[in-house]
Amino acid sequence: MTHRITAARTLIAGVAVTALAVLAGCGSGGAASPGTSSGPVHGGNLVIARTIDSQSMNNTTVFDNESIWIFEQIYQPLYTVSNDGKGVIPDLATGYTVSADKKTYTFTLRKGVKFSTGKPMTSADVKFSIDQSRAAAKGWGYIDTAIKSVAAPTPSTVVINLKFPWAPLLADLSLFSNDVLPANYGGQTETAFYNHPIGTGPFKWDYWHKGSALKLVRNPYYWQPGKPYLNSVTWTYVGSDNTRQLQLKGGQAQVDEFPAWSTVSTLKSTTGVTMNLFNSTRTDYLAFNEKRKPFQDVHVRRAISLAINRAALVKAILFGNGTPANSFMPPQVPFYQKATPGLQYNLTQAKKELAASSVPHGFSTTLLVSAGNSDQITTATIMQAELKPLGIKINIQQLDPNTATTNFQSLNYDMTFSYWTMDIPDPDELVTFSVDPAAGSKSFFTAYDNPTVVKDAHAAEQTLATSARQTLYNTIQDDAAQDAFMAFLYYSPYAYATTSNVRGFFVTPLGNYHLENTYLSK
Amino acid sequence: MGRMSFVFRRLLLLVPVAVGVTIVVFFMVHLIPGDPAATILGVHATPQRIAILHRQWGLNRPLLSQYWLFLDRLFHGDLGQSLIYGQSAATLISARLPATLWLIIYAAVLATIISVPLAMIAASRKDGVRDHLVRVVPLLGLGMPPFWVGLLLQLALALTLHIFPVTGYGAGIGGHLRSMFLPSLTVAIALSPVVIRSLRASMLGVLGADYITTARSKGIPGRRLFVRHVLRNAVIPAVTVLGINIGFLIGGTLIVENVFAVPGIGQLMINSIFQRDFPVVQGVTLVFGVLVVLVNLLTDIAYAALDPRVRFDR
Repeated sequence: MTHRITAARTLIAGVAVTALAVLAGCGSGGAASPGTSSGPVHGGNLVIARTIDSQSMNNTTVFDNESIWIFEQIYQPLYTVSNDGKGVIPDLATGYTVSADKKTYTFTLRKGVKFSTGKPMTSADVKFSIDQSRAAAKGWGYIDTAIKSVAAPTPSTVVINLKFPWAPLLADLSLFSNDVLPANYGGQTETAFYNHPIGTGPFKWDYWHKGSALKLVRNPYYWQPGKPYLNSVTWTYVGSDNTRQLQLKGGQAQVDEFPAWSTVSTLKSTTGVTMNLFNSTRTDYLAFNEKRKPFQDVHVRRAISLAINRAALVKAILFGNGTPANSFMPPQVPFYQKATPGLQYNLTQAKKELAASSVPHGFSTTLLVSAGNSDQITTATIMQAELKPLGIKINIQQLDPNTATTNFQSLNYDMTFSYWTMDIPDPDELVTFSVDPAAGSKSFFTAYDNPTVVKDAHAAEQTLATSARQTLYNTIQDDAAQDAFMAFLYYSPYAYATTSNVRGFFVTPLGNYHLENTYLSK
Repeated sequence: MGRMSFVFRRLLLLVPVAVGVTIVVFFMVHLIPGDPAATILGVHATPQRIAILHRQWGLNRPLLSQYWLFLDRLFHGDLGQSLIYGQSAATLISARLPATLWLIIYAAVLATIISVPLAMIAASRKDGVRDHLVRVVPLLGLGMPPFWVGLLLQLALALTLHIFPVTGYGAGIGGHLRSMFLPSLTVAIALSPVVIRSLRASMLGVLGADYITTARSKGIPGRRLFVRHVLRNAVIPAVTVLGINIGFLIGGTLIVENVFAVPGIGQLMINSIFQRDFPVVQGVTLVFGVLVVLVNLLTDIAYAALDPRVRFDR
């Protein structure tokens, strides 16, 4: 029995042709224009595709980079980070004087600076902003711990009084938490203000579709003449590495933030794409929990640190785009000591250290990793093989990222991975966070406690002479390496793939980017 | 029982279903380890900062007290505030829901457009070449994971032919139709094989029925016979299959949303789980539960529309 159904065939063909024709005409598409190297061009919308959405625009309480790098386009500090990440340059201030006792700093504000509302910025705004930052107990208030008071004697002068001489003051003031907002939030409530923030930066607020896209538009009152070049910048949240690359190739995005390391070499040779590897302060570590046996034993920590082949990790994880770490401080931070020996790969020495330990024949332990984090899982697998010759049996425990982080912070682990990127161009924040068990972070959640190192860390805060600080930080780095409170694994760059028509896009080692200099060439 | 009475009774069932969903989800997400403060504070978490956030969010209260507060808010139409975004969970969900609904409905339409003609062709010549082709080719869609199908479609129709955007949701009806075509087609390709097989089997069953032989003996033309007598009677099991699969789709669009960067509710759900954003997880799950019940209800109503013999007895 057969039934010839010409109608069905016609229907299929008709639907296919009609749908493709109609849909192709719907909406609007856009492809990236080919780049040329003419001078700066005004206009255009820069789309930055990234893996994680922002959390909040509250600069005094937010800790995630995905928020920070955006509101840094809206708010500005008195001093900002230099391009090499090792110092500061004037931003909303033009200069300062310091008293003989080094406890009073008087800053002169830049003239002609206005908020995106058109209202001029004054010292009252600066005082309000720093006072708000200092009061943020659940946020960055601790960074201003040395500040006793802030005064605004004239509209263009700000005076900061310190409790004691404080070497990292300018670096601390360059932190985004001290960025300048309108006094009293411009007459709004705090919540309302941070939902539609106002600043003096090159861009101003447009919208935020949470979990999807956030857009800033050009600030017409920006104080640098002729800048910014772009009309707007849109950050989109695109979780898939592959999708971000397709967007780049298809012209739907101009910047792919952090493409997978495995794709970097391919992107380098992709027509129409520029693969940028910017110097960064990111340092990856293997943390030991000194609250648990046998990690109180320095010989155990040293043995593990010596058994890790860092060059192999750089090759396997970063596909060669990084360098082995010798210090817990990265090379892009002031007072980093290149000569710090660290504990580098030496299996013979590792065996000697373990033989001198409380567990000379090895032991079983657990390495906590975040489920779904392929870099961590690969690293853990490599370490599992590397530590086997020492008789150390590693059980890899995969927990979802939030649980893994919670367990890390509550010292509920044996070994786990962590990393750091600098927030200020001074080692003080990292050093205190890492080695001072009383600082709240329990020595980077390792329970490491070496009173000599803690004493040196606090001495370096109040030592103003550069050479004396260098000596102190050298000692700290040497002692920390010998104590092996963490195994310092590797330094890695910030990877950004852009379309070839993106010009002037630069990321500092601290991760900040100044989009006022960025433009899309014709 | 009349249709309206049936619908009303089924809608009433939503209440115990929703309460059940809230109980299961609330205690599951609160009993698993993890802390939203860990997400917010990152490596800067200290016991003091965590305690401040817990007090601010009410997470320092007993679990039952938190659940009671959640129910109290729910009965007042408030799903609570997102712990991560500090925004109403209802606002977040309502902003993302349209994209997911677009995806599901568009995919269901495309799946129907693909499945019905193919099933008719297959059934028209049982065990013939066309039948075998129709039975084998869609299985490729079933055998390939959606993310792979999506990638192939992106490469072919977006990057090479530039017919559709690579990703996104688009703006306006035209923009949505164009931008959501590839993600919807991806879902439809995964959905179609099941519907085609079900519809084909039903059609073959109907073709053997006495009333078809009678209709044919009366000289009713093939096309009219198929559309009026065979398809209408065979489509009911296929509607069941489609309805069940749409129910699964409501919670399962995550991968396609991820591949095509569609700002839908699936992504919101997964991110909220990872971040332990309890109010949003609870809100999204509640919406999923309600949607599944509604789809099942619509499927039942569709029975009656397609077959007058079906009565609303239950």
